[in-house]
Amino acid sequence: MAGLAICGLTAYAQGDASKGEAIFKAKCTACHKLDQRVIGPALGPTLQTETDDKWLTKWIQNNQALIAAKDPKALKIYNEFNQSAMTVFGDLSDGDVANVIAYVRTEYKKEQTAAPAAGAATAVQETGPSNLVVFGLIGVVIIAFIVILVLNKVINTLERLVASRPALAPEEVAVEEAGPSKGILLAKALVKNKKFVFFVCLCATIFFASWTWVSLWNTNVHTGYQPVQPIKFPHDLHAGAMQINCQYCHSGAYKSKNATIPSLNICMNCHKTIDRLSTSKTPSTEIAKIYDALGYDPGTQKYDSTKMHPIQWVRVHNLPDLAYFNHSQHVKVQGLKCQTCHGPVETMKEVYQYSPLTMKWCIQCHKRTEINIKGNAYYEKMEQVHELIRKGGKVTEAMMGGIECGKCHY
Amino acid sequence: MDSNKKYWKGLEELNNDPEFVEKNKHEFAEPIPIEDVLSSGGLSSKTPRRDFLKALGFGVGAVTLAACQKVPVHKSIPYLIKPEEVTPGIPNYYVSSYEGHAILVKTREGRPIKVEGNPNDLLSKGGLNAQAQASVLDLYDYNRLKGPIRGGSDTTWEQLDGFVKNELTAIKAGGKKIRIVSSTIHSPSTLAVIADFIGAYPNTKHVTYDAVSYTGIIQANQNSFGKAVIPHYNFDKADVIVSFGADFLGTWISPVEFQNQYVQNRNNKSLQNKKMSRHIQFESGMSNTGSNADTRILIKPSEQGVALVNLYNEISGTTLPGTKALGNTNAAKAIKLVAAELKAAKGKALVVCGSNDVASQVLVNAINAQLGSYGTTIDLDNYSNQYKGNDAEFVEFVAEMNRGEVDAVLFLNTNPAYDYYAVDTFKAGLKKVRLSVSFSERNDETASLCTVIAPNHYYLESWGDGNAIEGYYTVIQPTINPVYDTRQAEQTLLLWSDNAVKEYYTYVRNTWDKSLQAKGGLASGLKGWEAVLQAGFVKAAAKPAGSYSFSRDLNGVAQTILNQSGRIAAGDGKFELELYQNVAIRDGKRANNPWLQEMPEPVSKVTWDNFIAMSPTDMKKLGYSQGDIATIEAHGYSVALPILLQPGQAQGTVSVAVGYGRTQGGPVADGVGKNAFPFQIFLNGTFQGTAIASLSKTGDVVVLAQTQTHHSFEGRDVIRDTTFKQYQKDPSSSSGEERQHKKYADLWDAYERPTYDWVMAIDLNACTGCGACVVACNAENNVPVVGRDEVRRRREMHWIRIDRYYSFNEEGKEISEEQEISQLKDLDNVSVVYQPMLCQHCDHAPCETVCPVLATVHSSEGLNHMAYNRCVGTRYCANNCPYKVRRFNWFNYWNDARFDNYLINEHTHLVLNPDVVTRFRGVMEKCTMCIQRIQAGKLKAKIEKRPVADGDIKVACQQTCPTNAIVFGNRNDPNSEVAKALKSERTYYVLEELNVQPGIGYQVKVRNTVLEA
Repeated sequence: MAGLAICGLTAYAQGDASKGEAIFKAKCTACHKLDQRVIGPALGPTLQTETDDKWLTKWIQNNQALIAAKDPKALKIYNEFNQSAMTVFGDLSDGDVANVIAYVRTEYKKEQTAAPAAGAATAVQETGPSNLVVFGLIGVVIIAFIVILVLNKVINTLERLVASRPALAPEEVAVEEAGPSKGILLAKALVKNKKFVFFVCLCATIFFASWTWVSLWNTNVHTGYQPVQPIKFPHDLHAGAMQINCQYCHSGAYKSKNATIPSLNICMNCHKTIDRLSTSKTPSTEIAKIYDALGYDPGTQKYDSTKMHPIQWVRVHNLPDLAYFNHSQHVKVQGLKCQTCHGPVETMKEVYQYSPLTMKWCIQCHKRTEINIKGNAYYEKMEQVHELIRKGGKVTEAMMGGIECGKCHY
Repeated sequence: MDSNKKYWKGLEELNNDPEFVEKNKHEFAEPIPIEDVLSSGGLSSKTPRRDFLKALGFGVGAVTLAACQKVPVHKSIPYLIKPEEVTPGIPNYYVSSYEGHAILVKTREGRPIKVEGNPNDLLSKGGLNAQAQASVLDLYDYNRLKGPIRGGSDTTWEQLDGFVKNELTAIKAGGKKIRIVSSTIHSPSTLAVIADFIGAYPNTKHVTYDAVSYTGIIQANQNSFGKAVIPHYNFDKADVIVSFGADFLGTWISPVEFQNQYVQNRNNKSLQNKKMSRHIQFESGMSNTGSNADTRILIKPSEQGVALVNLYNEISGTTLPGTKALGNTNAAKAIKLVAAELKAAKGKALVVCGSNDVASQVLVNAINAQLGSYGTTIDLDNYSNQYKGNDAEFVEFVAEMNRGEVDAVLFLNTNPAYDYYAVDTFKAGLKKVRLSVSFSERNDETASLCTVIAPNHYYLESWGDGNAIEGYYTVIQPTINPVYDTRQAEQTLLLWSDNAVKEYYTYVRNTWDKSLQAKGGLASGLKGWEAVLQAGFVKAAAKPAGSYSFSRDLNGVAQTILNQSGRIAAGDGKFELELYQNVAIRDGKRANNPWLQEMPEPVSKVTWDNFIAMSPTDMKKLGYSQGDIATIEAHGYSVALPILLQPGQAQGTVSVAVGYGRTQGGPVADGVGKNAFPFQIFLNGTFQGTAIASLSKTGDVVVLAQTQTHHSFEGRDVIRDTTFKQYQKDPSSSSGEERQHKKYADLWDAYERPTYDWVMAIDLNACTGCGACVVACNAENNVPVVGRDEVRRRREMHWIRIDRYYSFNEEGKEISEEQEISQLKDLDNVSVVYQPMLCQHCDHAPCETVCPVLATVHSSEGLNHMAYNRCVGTRYCANNCPYKVRRFNWFNYWNDARFDNYLINEHTHLVLNPDVVTRFRGVMEKCTMCIQRIQAGKLKAKIEKRPVADGDIKVACQQTCPTNAIVFGNRNDPNSEVAKALKSERTYYVLEELNVQPGIGYQVKVRNTVLEA
């Protein structure tokens, strides 16, 4: 079919699609996709309707010249795309351009024919058993197996009973049931044993006391708190797989007390062109939420300010108002890694609270961690610090007054 | 040594009233009724076991249930598209201008939260007064109008514009008069907009009306020198200052600027150069300025004119016709001595007068001309534009209205229905006007009488400019989007006059582009404009101040003055009434601001009220006591006000503050005090605030919410003062350096302060007691307002207070505590010292020792920390504090409906400083030395990898102080300002004999007394 399509075109466009693919991926993908409008038009449909390859070659090699010459077609495209100029590819020969065009046309045809099949395939996949069902079934099987085992055991016991006393009379059974079993006797003996009772009580007291103690300490400690967020933002993908620096989004961490949740224009720096996982064929519903909040239409690439509405993230790390915390102090001055407090964010599918954020936890770190005074003239005048360095000692935040009440509570 | 000199805050303290002694025994006015429980059968009464168990069970159950609520989910909502210049958590500062002063507005996340002085401001050099500090709160006042109003109901701007424009067109065709009435406008752009409006409607006239008028001075300068302006006074160039009732440090023309100038010749630097100015004040009521004077001479309002005539005679050596001798021998003697001093200081002398009488001001001009003040201490060429009101024009306008000649009137930033003396005439006239428009921000007394209210933006939401002093232009820029659906008045005027320029912003830009940027030596266009928005102002080169000679015939002037004196000389049983502005409320425009209402007025220390200030002698004579409500009647108007015992009030006079008694000012202002403006009269072309008044007791008594004797030191030696003569002999005079206290063993170990030792030095000689620091502290530290009733219970929350001490003005004479109030005459002749009192951050702090839960502890930087969330409210610390600077939260002020009226609600929460917590009920709080600023300053230095420099960190009270009386810094740095200040010989520490080692050093008050009246 692909071959037929190419044959149907004019001789001029006879190019090598495989060579074209390399050029396309190197030069075009920043602004174009085959099936979708990005910064530039979707090339697949455009090249199907536009068959004048001579004009296309001129356009690709130097679109500015065409615009300057007031070519009507060129002007139309130029204006349609907000007069954003396309890069001039003077280095592409006519052959190169033909290769690219051939690649685009064949690839788009392939995609279109493959699309319904792929759709069917995913549909089939979706009807397949989900993980939950599989595990559920396994669970049921295991439970059933256990039940069988227990029942077997009961049957065995009963059989043994019958075998040992062939003339089992109901009266006897009644007598045996009424008489104290070995276990009960043992229990009675134990209750009478004062030492044992004392021991049990002691254990119970210790258990409940420590349980109370621990649960009181952990009141309002929310380690592991992982609320449902309005957008399932995968830190493992952004910070982990993509290795985006934390401060690219949380830019406040360097200069402010707030690390700041990025505003959506930061998201749009990338997500203007990325609307799905590279492995996915359909746009991501989570990314669509960004567009929705901004009133952004990916089709026209226009923002509608009347539809804008803020995204209400659920705050994960809640310090009480009475404690002052400043990110820049820790990130910029001390040079701490974000992971020190926030844990392995780069592996978190969705963020959860890693550290307890209790005062004890703060103080422990202030007592243990050596402060970063190298190359910081701020610390030069501090006699105390110098004294310690001379002695080769460790300078911690606690020595600098970092565990005094008023350093955080005001 | 004058250590036996007694200082006292109020007569009850001086006389040791039993009630006062009793109250002072307790740290808190209303102790918990534990005694009652213990004595009156509280212990012997039997609680049945079942009741006890029931109560216990219910209590435990209720607490458990209450504790079982889910942890609230906190939302975190980022910007959709973050403005580039905003980083959450970091404040932005924008230049703007307040009443012509260049200021900085601190915003957080787009909300203005504090107003600070621009350190480069020509007028105040970075200082600000209480009013400016408090102005940020008014932005969030929910009583401001939410949108335009026509005929009492809400409307839209489109409908309003259509209606008004039709009306104006019809009126223009009809040919009747249109009037724009405003308070003084010195903004070049606004004046141009009004001129354009007049161009579009030629039958319009702009009338300037100020509630507190300075027409007298303007007219006098017109008569004397042909210049109808208020001159620019230079108090810093004057060695001898004589003021006749002008409260130039508190309220007169440009007080912040004058404070700064005044102190230049009285502060530490000047004293070390052995130089100190002389300040003599002639006045009847005790003003803030009078309380700072070296010599204060009591004269009645009726004697002021005569005194001026006599002074002129003494200086010029002539005798004006009709001259009378002063009946007041003290004053007569003083005039002779003052004249000699003034003559000796020719060219460096300045005489000012607070009267609004043209004749008196002409005579003052003549005196100043004789003294060669023009060109030196008075500058008529770089004149002031701060007040331009013309009383006669306004009176004529009211007459025009009453004659039915006016068809449209537009009120801009003025409220005559409240502050005009003949309110009824004004109201009657306004009814005859076809179209009345108010641009008021709130539905005030005047706006509610108008057909249309087109609410103006608040100044923090506006574009604009100012020109307080000729050649000095400041810019106003918005720091927040309009909070309500308001529109800037200038914008409205542009629309109504179909101006070619549609946007007022463009209009302001054009004004600056055309001339102002060039005046400041800046490029025109955007580049120059950006420079303006960086600096906040432009300053044209000052014109040389010319010396002016006075050549007018004074005979007629003298005659007018003497007639005037006769008019207000009260007969027997009557009083001479003088109206004044107090420092907190001024003319009442900001009366709805709770920070200002709760700020103790500097001299009387009264909050939330105005009163009749009366001399103790008169009170004794007439049988009044403090708090008695009396009806005061003058010019056919009478109000009932409480009497205040005011030492230093001239006998036979009473003073009443204007600015109170608003009826539609808002929930804070309404019903606080009584309106005194109607006591004014219009005479000889100006409004005058003196009258003959008769008083009668009503029999009612109230307790004034007066803070003067709260937090008493009970007669301990906390104030030290000396005279300039003694200082010159011995700079350490009376600072206690010569007094070697016996050092007992320290009860506490010494704390190490290895890096920083944050301390403060307060110069009592520079402090004028204005109270700006109190309001600045309110704004910076989220200090709540508690209201009049709570102040009466001594529960005001201010972290810094200004203690005002009286002492008898008798050198060497011992006044002991036991002495009864036998010498009432002396109570008229008192001197005043102001002492800002705040947490002293003692190194051996008594509060720390007694805290059972270690909520207040010492830091390695010399500070006394207070952990609110640790405090359990035993109040031991407050009981043990010798300085009485700890404040207890009796209520959860920020979240309690009882305090909503003081603007503590969700709107006002927007003004809170996010770096400081609000304190909960049941905890103690106190001055932290703005620890949030210290921490921020240190962090900034760390990030920039440099040591903290002296002056990097400024605490809120220090920053706003117009006289730089407060210096804060690191004592460990020997080159810091504070270390140097504390090394001054004048330094002493309050109650240092307790060996608590306070961190705040005070510098002895020096008085330049030569002349003993």
